[in-house]
Amino acid sequence: MKEKSNNLLLDLYPSTKFLITLFIIITVFIVKGYLYGYLMVPLCLLLALYAKVFKELLGLLIKTLLVLITFIFLIQSFFYPGDTILWSWSFLSLRQEGIDFSLLLTSRIGAIGSALLLFFRITSVKDIVYSLEQLGLPSKVTYVVLSTLTIIPEMKKLSMTIMDAQKTRGVETEGNLRVRAKAFLPTLTPLILTSVASTEERAITLEARAFTAPVKKTSLYRIEKTKKDTVVRILLLLLLIVIIVWRVAL
Amino acid sequence: MSFIQLKNVSYKYPIGKGDVLKGINVKIEKGGFYALIGANGSGKTTFCNVLRGFVPHFYKGDLRGDVLIDGKDIREWEMGELAQKIGFVFQNPFTQISGVKETVFEEIAFGLENLGVDVDIIIQKVEEVIGLLGIDYLRDKNPQELSGGQKQRVALASIIVMEPEILVIDEPTSQLDPRGTEEIFKIIELMKLKGKTIILAEHKIELIAEKAEQILVFQDGEVVMQGTTEEILTDPQVLEYGAALPQYALLGLEMKKRNWEVGQIPLTEQQAITTVKGLSHPKGEQVCHS
Amino acid sequence: MSFLTLEDVSFRYPNGYKAVENVNMSFSKGEAVAIVGQNGAGKTTTVKLMNGLLKPESGNVIIDGWNTKDYTTAQISRKVGYVFQNPDDQIFHSDVYSEIEFAPKRLGLPPEKIKESVMKAAELAGVVPYLKEHPYNLPFSMRKFVTIASVLAMESKVIILDEPSAGQDLLAMERLGLMIRTLVAEGKTVITITHDMEFVVNHFERVIVMANRRKISEGNKRDIFWDFDVLEESMLKQPHISRVSRSLQLEEKVLSIDEMMNHLQQVNNW
Repeated sequence: MKEKSNNLLLDLYPSTKFLITLFIIITVFIVKGYLYGYLMVPLCLLLALYAKVFKELLGLLIKTLLVLITFIFLIQSFFYPGDTILWSWSFLSLRQEGIDFSLLLTSRIGAIGSALLLFFRITSVKDIVYSLEQLGLPSKVTYVVLSTLTIIPEMKKLSMTIMDAQKTRGVETEGNLRVRAKAFLPTLTPLILTSVASTEERAITLEARAFTAPVKKTSLYRIEKTKKDTVVRILLLLLLIVIIVWRVAL
Repeated sequence: MSFIQLKNVSYKYPIGKGDVLKGINVKIEKGGFYALIGANGSGKTTFCNVLRGFVPHFYKGDLRGDVLIDGKDIREWEMGELAQKIGFVFQNPFTQISGVKETVFEEIAFGLENLGVDVDIIIQKVEEVIGLLGIDYLRDKNPQELSGGQKQRVALASIIVMEPEILVIDEPTSQLDPRGTEEIFKIIELMKLKGKTIILAEHKIELIAEKAEQILVFQDGEVVMQGTTEEILTDPQVLEYGAALPQYALLGLEMKKRNWEVGQIPLTEQQAITTVKGLSHPKGEQVCHS
Repeated sequence: MSFLTLEDVSFRYPNGYKAVENVNMSFSKGEAVAIVGQNGAGKTTTVKLMNGLLKPESGNVIIDGWNTKDYTTAQISRKVGYVFQNPDDQIFHSDVYSEIEFAPKRLGLPPEKIKESVMKAAELAGVVPYLKEHPYNLPFSMRKFVTIASVLAMESKVIILDEPSAGQDLLAMERLGLMIRTLVAEGKTVITITHDMEFVVNHFERVIVMANRRKISEGNKRDIFWDFDVLEESMLKQPHISRVSRSLQLEEKVLSIDEMMNHLQQVNNW
């Protein structure tokens, strides 16, 4: 059973969290103008603040979205076709149409990006996989997803050990890039072979633990939908209707 | 009708050159403790794989002869069914974890989840096994971060919790220190007391001499000797087949070679002590103790 | 004259775990030394300090006049060969011959010399029949001998074996013993970590005992295996035959079957 964190947002069922994200994604396309989209970024940050993942989200936003948005802005502002030239220098000219388009595009990217990043910040992979399994995703698929997460640090540990083994056979691994690149090659074979060999044993382990037993599995780990999920879902639906009606009426 | 019966069983791996098991005839009775001994590469591990149904269900290749588990041929058993019937623990402790669980408790529960057991019962059974094996201090640890010995105990616990009738255990202690080894043997003994049938491949012959009831000696894919522990582990022929004898038996055999009156060849420390105490020379002189 | 010395060496892993504390050891040319102790006692960390894989946090490791702090592991590998616990971390060629040939080739030796080193190492480790095999087609226990051969081919002065006895059968144990004797006779230093006390009795004289990150004792195997305080602290047991003689309170500190037989013969005047 998943432990309650007593944080409304964190305790929501994964699909409810995803509905919040989906809501943002849909509405940025319904609501006219760029202001709404841009507003979604601080809104996501606010939610992140509440879920105590503000720093992580902000870091991610700066590292990924900010770079992307700046880049798009520059390209589109200068190269989007239009007649209203605001400023020009040599062959470059800044056009009003370009700026308008960039504002719209980047506001949408910003909103969608921060909504998705927020979702993955407040939902653990374990929870996502659990809810997908409940939806009927085969356990083989979910196993692959979950085990991949543990394989990466294991592979890293293994490659360190192999590097050590190479050093003791006279392979110089410390030094400049060329030296290290040369040392890298001999580590690949044992890394792959060991991984393959352990995959076979892993398969036997799974077999020994009745992984393929033809019955419906149970799960010690459980996340349940609560009244809060229902309330949030209804609220999202109502909001969506309001926005659509408002949009049509105008 | 024996619990497990192999009739004239031979097997060749798909890419292998020759047969790795040759004409094996073995009967295993319910509740017995059988040890498999012999040189590396003599067929012990393959034998274990056949018993557990990994041959032919997992490793293809060419299996001939009959392998009957509880009267039903291995080829007719479903892999899922066999998981509940026969528990399997192997040598490498590092690959014997599911790789998807965050705590030892969840790791041990994994098999029962796969069997669709109710969550309340799972919790109860996992608690029981944790208590039985004395690994409560590991309960909340990440299975990936345990030492080899700890992982091996968790691997055993994960199988035992499924309550199989038969335990096939392939060299569980080769990576462990003497204390870790003894702990594993204690667990195995506990299972034997619970009426499980134990089949154990192992090199640590003194421990086998103390715990096992029946011995199968393997050489080049054949079972060259089988019988009770007393019969087999006091027979110098075993050495010819590349398997080891306990130090105590070797001591007794050396005495016998010199025509000392040893009586029964000792197998365990206690027996060896008795033997030395009761020694008498062929000429009839008693041992005088200093 | 000591060839390899650990002077008051301590080591802490980056995660803060102190694995070795104030260890002093020294090894001469032409001796075989066993390091024993439970898992987690610091044995593997200690031997990794001996070939520069780990550098001491404090203290010094001196090999043949070199301080390991001033050299890379690759450089030190010419003096100290180290066989890992797990052969699969080490093997990277598709046939046994190339695997053994790797290190001498790197040293830039002439072809005839390389071949000679390879064959000598293969013979000593007993892998000559498998030279053309793919290492991964060999059983685990034999793969271990492949890695031993690949380290022997470097012809280093010191050879460290990390648990070579794990999972080995009777024949393999005998081969290991013969190999260690041969190396020692050639004037090499063989340092072996092992859990097998009979193996220690049969092939080593000097024993170092580690427990809780420290060296708690060292000395002749007879003194060690009859020092019950040390055995208790390190949670080790006497060799099997010694246990019998202890229970019988025999006068002599017996270690092996031969010694037991001789002793019984003597006290009884047979």
